[in-house]
Amino acid sequence: MAVGRSSRSQPNEEASTALGLLLLIVIAFAVFSWTATGFASPYNLYTLTRTAGLNVLLGLAMMVVIATGGLDLSVGATGVASAMFAGYLMQDFRFQMVIAIVAALCFGGALGFCNGFVVVFARVHSFIVTLASMSIIFGAMIVLTKAESVRDLPASFLALGKIRWFGYLSPMLIVSVAIGALIAIMLRWTDLGREILASGASSRAATLSGVRVGSRIITVHALSGMLAAAAGVMLSIRNGAMVPSMAGNLGQEWLLPAFLAPVLGGTLLSGGRAWVLTTVLAALLVTELTSGMLLMAIGEFWVQFALGSVLLLAVLLEKGRSTLMGTGEGI
Amino acid sequence: MTLALELQGIVKSFPGVIALNGVSLAVERGSIHALIGENGAGKSTLIKIITGVHRANEGTIKVDDRIVHFVNPRAASREGIGVVHQERNLIPRFSIAENIVLDRIAAKTFAPINYREINRLGEQWLRRLELDLDVRRPVSSLTAAQAQMVEIARALSLQSKVLVLDEPTASLTSHEAEALFRVLRQLRDQGVAILLVSHKLEEIESLCDCVTVLRDGRNATSSGPLAGYDRAALVRAMVGRDFALEQAARIGFTSTASNSVPALELDGVSTSLGHRDISLSVARGEIVGLYGLVGAGRTELAKSIIGLHPIVSGELRVHGRAVRIGDVNSAVHRYSLGYVSEDRKAEGVILMHSVLANAGITIWARLRGALRLLSDSRILSNVDPLLRRLDVKAASRHAAVRNLSGGNQQKVSIAKWLAAGVEILIIDEPSVGIDIRTKAYLHQLIMNLADQGTAILLISSDLPEMVALADRILLMKDFRLVSEIANDKDYTKISADIMSRIQAVAFD
Ligand SMILES: Nc1ncnc2c1ncn2[C@@H]1O[C@H](COP(=O)(O)OP(=O)(O)OP(=O)(O)O)[C@@H](O)[C@H]1O
Ligand SMILES: [Mg+2]
Repeated sequence: MAVGRSSRSQPNEEASTALGLLLLIVIAFAVFSWTATGFASPYNLYTLTRTAGLNVLLGLAMMVVIATGGLDLSVGATGVASAMFAGYLMQDFRFQMVIAIVAALCFGGALGFCNGFVVVFARVHSFIVTLASMSIIFGAMIVLTKAESVRDLPASFLALGKIRWFGYLSPMLIVSVAIGALIAIMLRWTDLGREILASGASSRAATLSGVRVGSRIITVHALSGMLAAAAGVMLSIRNGAMVPSMAGNLGQEWLLPAFLAPVLGGTLLSGGRAWVLTTVLAALLVTELTSGMLLMAIGEFWVQFALGSVLLLAVLLEKGRSTLMGTGEGI
Repeated sequence: MTLALELQGIVKSFPGVIALNGVSLAVERGSIHALIGENGAGKSTLIKIITGVHRANEGTIKVDDRIVHFVNPRAASREGIGVVHQERNLIPRFSIAENIVLDRIAAKTFAPINYREINRLGEQWLRRLELDLDVRRPVSSLTAAQAQMVEIARALSLQSKVLVLDEPTASLTSHEAEALFRVLRQLRDQGVAILLVSHKLEEIESLCDCVTVLRDGRNATSSGPLAGYDRAALVRAMVGRDFALEQAARIGFTSTASNSVPALELDGVSTSLGHRDISLSVARGEIVGLYGLVGAGRTELAKSIIGLHPIVSGELRVHGRAVRIGDVNSAVHRYSLGYVSEDRKAEGVILMHSVLANAGITIWARLRGALRLLSDSRILSNVDPLLRRLDVKAASRHAAVRNLSGGNQQKVSIAKWLAAGVEILIIDEPSVGIDIRTKAYLHQLIMNLADQGTAILLISSDLPEMVALADRILLMKDFRLVSEIANDKDYTKISADIMSRIQAVAFD
């Protein structure tokens, strides 16, 4: 064996994906500034960063589960249900805002925990389990709330939705990016994250090395539930209310952005590899594309059509890339 | 010319690595040709080029003096080249017979499948290898060695002009290997050209006519008759310098007060997999060998001990305390009991993850700091000495294990358990696919572990290895322990003894 170049000089896959996404973000920005009137206006950038904050959280919620080779269809239902929970705590029980938000995160985490528990102990694929729990959670939420919104919220909570930095930046994006950084540290620099990735890459080899694969699957589902709850709270802050239909029927409107970010960001659907930086960038790109296309007034359906196509394309590209060249770097 | 296969100036590079750098090879018709070299020398890469899996960057391939270009494995098999690769390529859910005649099923797309014919054919080829298995069993239920034999049967069934075998005997006992060799000799006499990779020099000396040695992706010797080399010369060609093969013998285990309570003890254990009344004990600092033919139930026993399969009766004791081990995690972290799997591809390593991620997995929990934080450098400082000692060759510690040569993958799979620092270690076929030099280092490491007080249960089909390492050898047959032999390290005597005992039990 002769070692030609050291691995340091080999193009790192994550970095090259990140660079590619960054390039697309810049190009899309240039194109939209030119074609869509008002795209680069401070107000549009403000709403764009606000939506990006939401999409980043959704992408991360899906990414952590995909890292183990599973998926979570209940992110929307969990997110909305948790937000409604926080809303009732504040409206009917006069809870303090911070306590209500923390309670909502725990609530979402608990729902995710249940998902994970059933996946592990019934040995059913998370697709079926979360499809069922999506309907159950959403159905129960509609029954309990009688499909009514929560609007009588403390002033401090409503004030959060009005914060705007430098005229164009929403703090929501900053919060989401900070959460992303924590998850990146977890995946890369803790034994927990390493075990999650090992479980996703080969549950058999991980089990035989002493990793509790079942626990790790439960961990990621709980984490996913918490992140979905955070997204739900974020959307409520933006709306100034908790609205049962804010993520569409069964929370389905969140699914496309939730899958787009990790898939465009190079997370392997079969598990074992997850990159936070690229997931965040992909979420930004998706938000940018959506916003730009909406401004160009090409119609909501065409936007859905375009995003769906992007998702399919990304999956096919990843398949092609992994079959064409085995890459040098491991995880 | 009588050359069945000729390669000239083959160059093959992967990102960051030049695997082959101008290699030539000539295999004569009616001969058994050995292709040898250390781990990572490029043997498997060369074979993948011969069989159309990879395409060479430069160089020519000739079959029967005609230049050929293989665009895929099917093209190679159309030219009459059959192969058994180093890693298994069977379809787990399919039966043994279906796997053996797979290509012919696939060829006739719309013909109804005649299962009786398939089973008859499958059976016929298994019989030639003297293997007694129900051909309707799914391949997923087989041990590594049985799967290896099935794959050899498949290659034989193609009746190729050139048969290429990449470490076919790596996980076989000498008994099964002999059956294979008888078939190979018959084929040679019928004019088949056979190219064989092996790290076992004894079998090469007894079987092969010609040899080519590779080192670091180049020819260390060109193809020529084996008669010109003695063992030391072969080793020198592979290693690149003189290398003494003598094993450092172990002083041996003596029972003392401090190890009077066995570290691991099985008392009348039966398992859900069919083991009956197994009693054995391993003391601190002792290496107990577990020998048996393919299918004897040794790996299954190991997996039952570490909690993968239930123990239905009898008692398992760790340091004298009766325990019930529910899963591997508690085996490792509660009872300090580890298991090195025989199946490196599926169980031993995580192919898509890096060398570092694989080697450290058993010690993450131990090394982590506050907030469970754990840095690469901390893991590296713990595993790097072992990776160096075992001479793991990889582009870097961050290279995916998938891209390592088979032997180097095996080293990673062992290194993580040598690093784990467990008190009781079950080692299943540790030297499968490892070259002779590393094997000597590995044996030294295993002995050192024992000398430091680790209790070791060694499962190996490699009898010389067993005799070199074990203090006592237990014989297993049909999921029962049948005999125990004190090992006095006299190979000829012990091997004869073991063989006669296995035969005796066979005729019971
Ligand atoms: N797909 C790949 N990508 C990158 N490097 C590879 C790939 N396959 C092989 N290599 C490298 O090529 C070299 C030769 O590997 P090869 O598998 O041919 O060795 P080998 O002689 O068969 O060794 P072993 O005795 O361990 O099986 C090794 O350094 C290996 O890391
Ligand atoms: Mg090889």
